[in-house]
Amino acid sequence: MDAYEVRGRLDVIEEEEAADEDAFVMVQDSPDVFCGDCGVLTVRGAAAHVSHALVTLAAGAQQMKDQLSKSRSKLSEKIIEMENFASNLEEIFITVEENFGRQEQNLEQHYNEVLQTLSQRNEARAAALDEQKNDKLERLYGQLLRCGQTLDASKELIESAQEVHRRRDKRAFLQAIMPIMKRVEQFAREEVDLKLGASLDFDVPTTDLSDVRQMMESINVLPAPSAPVMNPQIANSATETSLHVCWSLFSDDTVEFYELYWRLISDDCTMETPQEVCQLKVKETHCTVSDLLPNAQYELWVTATNTTGISPASERAVYMTVPSPPVIKARQCVSSLDAALIRWDSGNTNPVESYTLEFQEASADGESTATESIVAIPSCECLVQLQSWKRYIIHIRAVNIGGPSDRSPPLHISTTGTFFHLLEDTAHPSLSLSADGLTMFYLDEDLPISHMTFSDNTFNRCVAVLGDLVPIRGQYYWEMEVDESAEFRVGVAYEDTQRNSYLGGNNTSWCMRHILTPSRHKYEFLHNGWTPDIRITVQPLRIGVFLDYGRGILSFYNAALRQHLYTFSCQFLHYVHPCFALDNPGALTLCTGLTAPPYVAQP
Amino acid sequence: MLIFGGRLLQRAVNGAMALTQVSSNKCCDGYQKVFEHDSSELKCKMKFAIYLPPKAESSKCPVLYWLSGLTCTEQNFITKAGSQQAASEHGIIVVAPDTSPRGCNIEGEEESWDFGTGAGFYVNATQEPWKTNYRMYSYVTEELPRLINSNFPADPEKMSISGHSMGGHGALICALKNPGKYKSVSAFAPICNPIQCAWGQKAFSGYLGADKSTWELYDATVLAESYSGPELDILIDQGRDDQFLSSSQLLPDNLIAACSKKKIPVVFRLQQGYDHSYYFIFSFINDHIKHHAKYLNA
Repeated sequence: MDAYEVRGRLDVIEEEEAADEDAFVMVQDSPDVFCGDCGVLTVRGAAAHVSHALVTLAAGAQQMKDQLSKSRSKLSEKIIEMENFASNLEEIFITVEENFGRQEQNLEQHYNEVLQTLSQRNEARAAALDEQKNDKLERLYGQLLRCGQTLDASKELIESAQEVHRRRDKRAFLQAIMPIMKRVEQFAREEVDLKLGASLDFDVPTTDLSDVRQMMESINVLPAPSAPVMNPQIANSATETSLHVCWSLFSDDTVEFYELYWRLISDDCTMETPQEVCQLKVKETHCTVSDLLPNAQYELWVTATNTTGISPASERAVYMTVPSPPVIKARQCVSSLDAALIRWDSGNTNPVESYTLEFQEASADGESTATESIVAIPSCECLVQLQSWKRYIIHIRAVNIGGPSDRSPPLHISTTGTFFHLLEDTAHPSLSLSADGLTMFYLDEDLPISHMTFSDNTFNRCVAVLGDLVPIRGQYYWEMEVDESAEFRVGVAYEDTQRNSYLGGNNTSWCMRHILTPSRHKYEFLHNGWTPDIRITVQPLRIGVFLDYGRGILSFYNAALRQHLYTFSCQFLHYVHPCFALDNPGALTLCTGLTAPPYVAQP
Repeated sequence: MLIFGGRLLQRAVNGAMALTQVSSNKCCDGYQKVFEHDSSELKCKMKFAIYLPPKAESSKCPVLYWLSGLTCTEQNFITKAGSQQAASEHGIIVVAPDTSPRGCNIEGEEESWDFGTGAGFYVNATQEPWKTNYRMYSYVTEELPRLINSNFPADPEKMSISGHSMGGHGALICALKNPGKYKSVSAFAPICNPIQCAWGQKAFSGYLGADKSTWELYDATVLAESYSGPELDILIDQGRDDQFLSSSQLLPDNLIAACSKKKIPVVFRLQQGYDHSYYFIFSFINDHIKHHAKYLNA
């Protein structure tokens, strides 16, 4: 049975008001298979579909569903393609509009220029013609006037001659006739100039329209490129001697190559003449310029060139090379158990913006450890807090707008004790220091007066010198070795302790003093000129000094015997500095970097 | 005390060195106690004061022996010197014995305040009627330490000695005569050179007889001049306004000279305005205990 009959059946069943499916299935001769080849419902064993691919209704339904979804997906793909094409078209539409718009503008501009030039020429030529005309007319008119005058004169003469001719009186006639005759003859003899004063031709000057021709020709030619734009300096793209320069072209102009120009602009006042301009031809929109000076500013600009010509120069950009690395001044650094004060030389003649201090723990097996940094340091020194009992490596970098310099050579610091040096510019001129800065001598010789250069900062009575110390309120320990016969004063003082006073004699210094009398050794512990009465039986030759800001104490020890000698109790209002003086010729050696012995640091 | 209860019992059974607690007061988180015992050296009942710091409850502590001066008992130091705070902080046991045997009924012992009762001078007397009981030197250097080490959580290797006036003399001679026994020594206004002062001459002639060579055995200045032994570190405080200093009883210059010559480390501090009293001791006792702690707690 064919599809129509099936439909007819279905209609019948519908008319019978929705018989259930089971009933439908059990009706005889109802279709129960699907022919894949013909795509119709049919009955099993139907003659028309004997050799066709027959499948169950369920399978058939599934097959058709699969086919349907395949076709559906093909259709969706096509739709996407069309959409893409459509948006592409949109873009092209816009671009074409833009490009044509530009071309139109260009053309309009060009033609305007041409028209302007033509009208200028026209005006010029017209003016020239006008001039000529006026000139000729003037001359002709002049001639006309002269003719008229001549005519008038002649007529007058003839009249007067006639008048004389009519006179009866022969005597009067003869008297008057000769001059008149003469005049008439003279007049008749005169040649009359009957030539035209001006030619009737017009002198047409040839107009120079070559530039108009040129402009017309160039309408069809590529315009010269518009000026490129210099990019600002990219962070960290510069080195000490090179700059990485970039620029951009904000138009679709064709460019064959660029030319980059640069010139050193320095704040260095010694250069008064402007520096040479260097240039480089480059195909890309970036390039690296080398052989430059460190920490210097350069002015850069660029032009773009194509077959038509060269673009105007871009605005000038200023780039800066990175500074040279600083150099740490090891002799002037001080450290303690928990901090260090680092000082360095800038390494650059011109100022830099700031410095960065980097520190990391030195590991025993060469493994790299985390680096910590302190940035934006404005001057050439920095106080850094560290952990006790460790070794650190410290580097400094100089920073300007071009970026950071390379690292300075390293400084090794151990936070195992108090390290410091003597402040040489506070030393009394009679006090000389050893090369390593740790031993001081008061020599038994008269120095020449010229040697005795005092300044506001040097001690000028007490032969003394101050030491430097980390400016942190912590604990510090150092030792000194003295000669048996050295009469000394050692202790601490405020940085502004009076330079014309003796250590211990004022309220800004505290010290232990040794006096050698003929009979014995005398010891004083001086502050503000006062000392307790203390006798010491064994002369200390190695003196330990312990300073503790927290507990407000300054203690002195015979370090060789571990013997406590005396302790000052004082709340220090400011940071104090170690101080040393020799009252008589002798020597004193400083020992720094020592760890405070346990008997010292205990409360 | 519980830990040592067993040993106490044993001793009681043995009939030797029985300790009786006389008093106990909590002080600075530790305990100030007084004990009484029968002394074998002195042949009489003797009291001594002992301060046990908080640390003594859990571990052994070093011991500082304090010898008091003329007329004192075991009470003066523990009530007037204010030593308990520093002893507590540094974890040091402080033992303060009496200054002479008591109740021995020796004729003449009550006659003077500077000889006999309360004036033992820390010697072992050789003369009658003193020689049986007046053996303070042996009591302090031998019997007392044995007693303390057996009955209290004391570290037997860590002992120091200090004292005032006659007790200062006692501390100095005990240290000088026993090199290495005491880790440190200090003194307040000590009688430095007894054979040269009135006190010493009176006491030594009574206890030791007329032969001055026997006196030298108990004179700190003389002992210093011939000292050889481990290095000492001596701290001496002396009040400048001490009447006995001005009456030449103390003579510290002689000791200083001797120690300078023999290179014995001494720090001698002359304290302006201070006298011979316990107010003076109170003012500087912390420095002394800190001085001892440096060596005892090392």
